[in-house]
Amino acid sequence: MSEGAWSRRAVLGGLAAAVGLRALPARAIGPASELDVAEIQLGRGTVSRPQAWSRLLFELIQSTSVEAEPRAVQVAPDDPALFKHPFAVLVGDDALPPLSPAAEQQLGRYLQYGGFLLIDDASGQRESAFDPSVRQWMRRLFPTRPLAVLPSDHSVYRSFFLLREAVGRVAHHRRLEGIAQGSMHPVVYCRDDLSGALDRRPDGVERSACVPGGESQRREAVKLGINLVMYALTSNYKQDQAHVNQLMREGRLE
Amino acid sequence: MTDWLLGGCCGAGGTLVWSASSWVPAAVAGCGAGVIALAARGGLRGRAAELGLLAGALVLLVAASAGPVWVQEGARTEEGRLVVLVDSSRSMTVREGDGRSRGDEALARAASLAGADVYSFGDGLRSGAPVAFTAGDTDLGGALAGIAQRYAGERLRGVVVLTDGLDRGGLRRRLSESPGSPVPAVPGPLTVVQVGAVGARADLAVADVRGGGFAFLRAPFTLEVQVEATGSARRSVPVTLLRDGQPAGTATASLDAQGRGVASFTLTPDQVGRFVYEASVPVDEGDAVPANNVLARAVQVVRDRVRILQVCGSPSWDQKFLRLFLKEDPSVDLVSFFILRTQADMGAGWDPDELSLIQFPYERLFSSELGTFDLVILQNFDYAPYFDRDADELLANMARYVREGGALAMVGGDRSFDLGRYAGTPVAEVLPVELGVTGDATDATAFQPRLTAGGARHPITALSGDPAENAATWERLVPLDGLNLSRGLRPGAAALLSHPGRTSPDGSPLPVLAVAEVGKGRTLALMGDSSWRWSFDEAGGGRGNQAYLRFWKNAIRWLVGDPGDQPVVVEIARESVQLGEEARVRVRARDTAFQPVPGAQVEVVLRGPGGDRTERVVADSDGVATVVVTGDQRGAWRVRATAVGPGGAPLGTASSAFTVTTRDPELDVVAPDSAFLRALAARAGGRYVGPGEVLVPLEDRDAGRVVRDRRETSLAAMPLVPALLLAATGGSWLLRRRRGLR
Repeated sequence: MSEGAWSRRAVLGGLAAAVGLRALPARAIGPASELDVAEIQLGRGTVSRPQAWSRLLFELIQSTSVEAEPRAVQVAPDDPALFKHPFAVLVGDDALPPLSPAAEQQLGRYLQYGGFLLIDDASGQRESAFDPSVRQWMRRLFPTRPLAVLPSDHSVYRSFFLLREAVGRVAHHRRLEGIAQGSMHPVVYCRDDLSGALDRRPDGVERSACVPGGESQRREAVKLGINLVMYALTSNYKQDQAHVNQLMREGRLE
Repeated sequence: MTDWLLGGCCGAGGTLVWSASSWVPAAVAGCGAGVIALAARGGLRGRAAELGLLAGALVLLVAASAGPVWVQEGARTEEGRLVVLVDSSRSMTVREGDGRSRGDEALARAASLAGADVYSFGDGLRSGAPVAFTAGDTDLGGALAGIAQRYAGERLRGVVVLTDGLDRGGLRRRLSESPGSPVPAVPGPLTVVQVGAVGARADLAVADVRGGGFAFLRAPFTLEVQVEATGSARRSVPVTLLRDGQPAGTATASLDAQGRGVASFTLTPDQVGRFVYEASVPVDEGDAVPANNVLARAVQVVRDRVRILQVCGSPSWDQKFLRLFLKEDPSVDLVSFFILRTQADMGAGWDPDELSLIQFPYERLFSSELGTFDLVILQNFDYAPYFDRDADELLANMARYVREGGALAMVGGDRSFDLGRYAGTPVAEVLPVELGVTGDATDATAFQPRLTAGGARHPITALSGDPAENAATWERLVPLDGLNLSRGLRPGAAALLSHPGRTSPDGSPLPVLAVAEVGKGRTLALMGDSSWRWSFDEAGGGRGNQAYLRFWKNAIRWLVGDPGDQPVVVEIARESVQLGEEARVRVRARDTAFQPVPGAQVEVVLRGPGGDRTERVVADSDGVATVVVTGDQRGAWRVRATAVGPGGAPLGTASSAFTVTTRDPELDVVAPDSAFLRALAARAGGRYVGPGEVLVPLEDRDAGRVVRDRRETSLAAMPLVPALLLAATGGSWLLRRRRGLR
């Protein structure tokens, strides 16, 4: 959808804001319903980057109507607390340990019933030890559905920003992969270290340079991060006919 | 004398056949030999004549006991028979231009065919000419097949059919749709005589109203009214359409050279249920059958999918889980609009061209398109930043939409209810809860909602069919994260879930889930934004998400209120009855858990062309109340039933419709069907005789039948046999007496 920003409505909206009709920042009534990020931690192979996710949620709050709690919590894959956080990330730079049966069962339920998992390869390498272990995990979780490259018209590329590619700190692959479940992809896999592009030191300085695109590439990575959260919240909303037709009429979608 | 003695039949060319079993003459011969032996006991000398006569009698008796039959066989040829079939259906009562009925003309023509075997046909085949033309059907194909069966193996001189050609048994339709289709084979040349002339009497008729019998809610469908005119100078005919007796449109049917035309009506039903559409054409002076100028058809309007508008003020987990459910449900047609960016987010520095956002078409959604939705879900949506100048009108539209039969659900959040600034608006007047909270409008303390007494019986909160299990499920579900506060229930609303501690100003528990019926519509208020946890937490506990899915499925089903999903249902077996016939109306009374309510008081209002009539009946042990209505006035009848439980608790209302007609199917169209009769004659290799033409039946002069004769004469029964027996035994006795023997 939706905003009144680019038309007569924008002007009227601005006037309305001036007289106190400004839309309020949205917060869930209770803390348990607020958006945050759960980092799945397994020790070996996984990386924790809470600053990256705090930054992403901050950017999300600034740019969208979504209000969130800009925090990241660490959970084990078999921890029942996982079900308090429908948005989870798995960041790694090395081979992951095998999933325990309990963890496998819980992750399967989590993804089946509405949870979303972003997997991020933080190695920065074109081919890493993390990648085959992720694929091994996915084969265990979804024996009949392989990781597949998401098409360029997938909702994740238009859930808030119109994106033509997906880049992170590096830009080796430039495409996302995912596993389909019905009309949704509850698992999305980025091989270009998205969290590396978002991560900052406590003093606000970027931890890593983005290559080869520098700061413009980082900007695209931020947009990708926002799109991923919006996709987790709105799923295939942007595939609804009203949106597709309108964007095509405006020439912003082919 | 000789003939008499010989039985008069022992001519030449016969065959002798012994018909008795062999043991009979054997037994007679044995007995006879015994008699002769006894007779010969006095010695044989001089007794040859006596014993010879006795032996001769014995031989004759043995031969007679063997059952001699003289059989003669022969054959002769009779002339072929002429069979006449006279149409006895009611369409034959139509009077022609000379004032004589078609039936009379047919009988006169049949009488001219002397010696013919006459049959009448209509809804069956009967021997003899019709006594009255009262058959309610015309099955010519069946009649021809019946004749073929009755005269199987015989070659008829001819078969003559006297009819107006208004066959309704299928033969006419088959030949019309497929001219090459076969016709029943008859055992003789066929002569088809058309009785009645096309155009002899002017008649305008609605031949049919075609629409398929059902339509989808809010989807355009077409009713085609087929008009037929005979003997009329009209080139076009105005057609009027009524729905349940109220005007639904007019159209013009242009007539072709055969006097046939179609008027099309494109209609968009706005309610589900059964409706009666009645098409009529003017009754001109001299119209042969005024009753066929009107035709009614019932159309069942169903909902193919529930069309839902989900408007959300901000993406959230609550919105996500509800959308996932709605999107996955094949019975739901979902249109979603989420506010992804507000005025407050515009300083983030993004170029508009980078964004994948579209305008929120709120004006269209909440005005012209509002009526296309079965249910509107406002999920944490504050209207004020978007509705700007049109707010009053759009909010009034929403309230009107509900009162006119729409459904509205408001789901909580920090932009909803009082925080959405709905207090004092038309929307607040249709919500189940009273807005206007002063101070904090939310309570962010987690709590376990309580199932109210009403909620324990209501279909929305029926997560299980077992009341105890249902209550246990609600107690088990994860607590809600917080609550939108209200001032309690609005008058007439019901709380299904309530807060365990907080109370309304009147002291009653604060509603968490409340429902109301407003005008023809329904509303629901869910005072929180964490029902998604009933899905995800339950799944985390290994119990799946059935509780959440069942809750929302129940809610949608109740909100949109399909007739079949109502506790009270009106069933009418026949959509159309003849004037004076009875229509049987059954009202099923059930409670909110859809259990039958024996003893329910049911008020049935029958709205016919002559006004309203009210019947009050009590439901039987199955919760069914039956009313028998005599359709004493032609037109559409709407039935509205209201049921209350034995204790006075309202159960609900429902309605349906039927039509009372004066139309006689035999008189739907009265113009003789010359084309059909010509085609029938042609396909059968026969002859067509038009009105006024001399009837000369097509005949097969060589036809006839061979009749085989077989004559059997019992020789034992010939008078000669007892005469000879008497003479032989009498002579023997006399000779014996002369010798002094006894």
